[in-house]
Amino acid sequence: MNKIRRNVLISLALFGMLFGLQASSYAQSIRVITTTPELADITKQIGKELVNVESLTRGVEFMHAVPVKPSFVPKLNRADILVVMGLDLEISWLPALLEVANNSKILPGQSGNIDCSNGISVLEVSRTVDRSEGDVHPKGNPHYNLDPVSGKIIARNIADGLSHNYPQHRAVFEKNLNAYLGDLDKAIARWQSMAAPLKGVKIVTYHVEWSYFARRFGLEQVGIIELKPGIEPTPNHLVALVQKMQQEKTQLIIYGAQSDRFPRQLASQTSASVVRLQSIAGGSPETDTYIKFIDYNLRSLLTAVKKG
Amino acid sequence: MVRSVRRPRRMAVLSLVGALLLSPAFGRAQTSELDSIKTLVKNLEQQLQKALQRIDQLEKEKAATSGRVDQVERSVRSVQSAPSILNPAIGMSIDTTAEHRAKTGGDFNFRSAELGIAASVDPYARAYAFITGSKEEIEVEEAAIVTSSLPWNLQARAGRFFADFGRLAKFHPHEYAFVNTPLSLERIVGGESKADGAELSYLFPTPFFLRGTVGGYNKLGAENERLDDTKSRSWSRFTYLGRLHTYFDLTDNHGVELGTSLAFTPSLRMSDFTGSNRTLAGVDLTYRYQPLDSTLYQGFTWGSELFANSERRPLTLEDESVVGKRRRSFGGYSYGELKLNKNWSTGFLFDYAPSIDEPAKKTKSYSPFLTWNLSEFNRLRFQYSFLDDKVREEKSERGHQFFLQWTTVLGSHTHGFRNR
Repeated sequence: MNKIRRNVLISLALFGMLFGLQASSYAQSIRVITTTPELADITKQIGKELVNVESLTRGVEFMHAVPVKPSFVPKLNRADILVVMGLDLEISWLPALLEVANNSKILPGQSGNIDCSNGISVLEVSRTVDRSEGDVHPKGNPHYNLDPVSGKIIARNIADGLSHNYPQHRAVFEKNLNAYLGDLDKAIARWQSMAAPLKGVKIVTYHVEWSYFARRFGLEQVGIIELKPGIEPTPNHLVALVQKMQQEKTQLIIYGAQSDRFPRQLASQTSASVVRLQSIAGGSPETDTYIKFIDYNLRSLLTAVKKG
Repeated sequence: MVRSVRRPRRMAVLSLVGALLLSPAFGRAQTSELDSIKTLVKNLEQQLQKALQRIDQLEKEKAATSGRVDQVERSVRSVQSAPSILNPAIGMSIDTTAEHRAKTGGDFNFRSAELGIAASVDPYARAYAFITGSKEEIEVEEAAIVTSSLPWNLQARAGRFFADFGRLAKFHPHEYAFVNTPLSLERIVGGESKADGAELSYLFPTPFFLRGTVGGYNKLGAENERLDDTKSRSWSRFTYLGRLHTYFDLTDNHGVELGTSLAFTPSLRMSDFTGSNRTLAGVDLTYRYQPLDSTLYQGFTWGSELFANSERRPLTLEDESVVGKRRRSFGGYSYGELKLNKNWSTGFLFDYAPSIDEPAKKTKSYSPFLTWNLSEFNRLRFQYSFLDDKVREEKSERGHQFFLQWTTVLGSHTHGFRNR
């Protein structure tokens, strides 16, 4: 009997130690969960040593099809701040997780939920929302992270959100924000001059996710591989697209986390080159920061244009 | 002659002008005129500068105004186009089959039209409802309130809902990976775990996902006819449930989910002559392969559940007045579903379903299926089933069967975390 009691006491002590250690490791800094790696990177740049940041996605996922993993739930449960891209980019997986995360302070609309799409000049807002138009986003195209100027708005939103929740650290966040915006401005100036050969280059993309990037760097989008957003192409659609690509002298076919089957098929029937880019950061060591991620996409495109 | 007269005159005029220009008085007049011209030019310059500044300012104001107009237009458009902003999210699923059963024949089976409504109630709760119409009836399958801001990692739910028993019992049938509810689930649990009652869930503060639920209900199971849902009764005749549910990431791409559930009814009276407690237990195990870089195109799910039921049942079905005997029945199902590409998946379901009254008699069924997802919201499925039936309760539960199922979803229709 005594042995059982002793074992129970030891087990309870071990549990207590486990939770105690866990609690103490989190007590030091602001626990921030982000939905994508670039949001994690920018949050780190602004929060520095004041924040402990983790991204739920790794950067290789297609953001409209992220698995709803229960392992995300404890992370969301313990988060002080949740940073999201917004515009319904995370609609297919995040609400289901928040449903069981038991953390009211990070629910949409609450101060702990930082929506980085605030202030973004949103493209492709549909006047009518109907599923006959595919898997459309009623609030507009959510892939604004691909425009580096939007990166400045993301950073500002994160700094404002952190300052709102932790006003005692406002000065630090502002100082770090200004330093980061300075770095980003320099990078943007460099990218603008680098991107000169891309002006007027005609592209076809797999999914409607490159609109912001194309607008910033002067690419001309002449077609989409998907029949409608989220709907795979039909043979007729592909035939029409090949004709259009030939007429328009399309140079590049851009795809991201999708299969390369249709891009390769189109390339074989036209003179366009296929290039795989990343629609969110973090998918590889070359894209582990937001600046490196934009840099990687731009350089990949320039290489493809030169080869083409 | 004329020429010679004009030359000295011209010379005289020039000399006079030169003298005047060189004289101090004329110089002073000239300087003051220049000064006034300079002042005039300076004034004009200042006015021009002001005009340019004003133009700049107006242009900026115009840009800002048009920006604001754009923003307002976008907001108006998004409000107009997003039906869930001011109203509850509303959706409907339609589930219909064409089927042929060797022992009963063919049927166009309108299985269900399920209307789903969900929204936040206030900062403290959200609510949802599923109202289902089928060939037989229209019923409220679920209508529940769920808290969203209870302290200490607690979440409460009350109303009518699918109780937190097992895995598949919480799915609406149109969400299955296959066509029909497994017979083991139907016979032992009573189909979906529909219950009127209340639940309290606790998310353990562990680094991994661990959730516990306790609940109390009138009864558990959509097809459970043991008790009348509409009558008050002793609290010993309610069903009480406990469940533990955990999940582990084996790697980024592989995960395992494990749950165990126990539903206990202290006193269950089937008639005036038979009564006892009832214990319903379940273990569910789900393995998922979801390669992060190609979840659109690849994936595999293996899901299995075992059920055990123990209760006193009437000795003969014809005469319930005969004192019954405790029956223990064990059954379950196991299925695997492989994603072939973005649109196609295939799988196999094995089901092992005992009779509750005569547990020695079983129905075993084998069902390969093929699913074509035309889009995320539109699905066709073909399934063949062979049922080796020794129970002989229903003719429709034996022999060769063929199903072609068409399921669509309109609007916003989601069953959330439980239907992963």
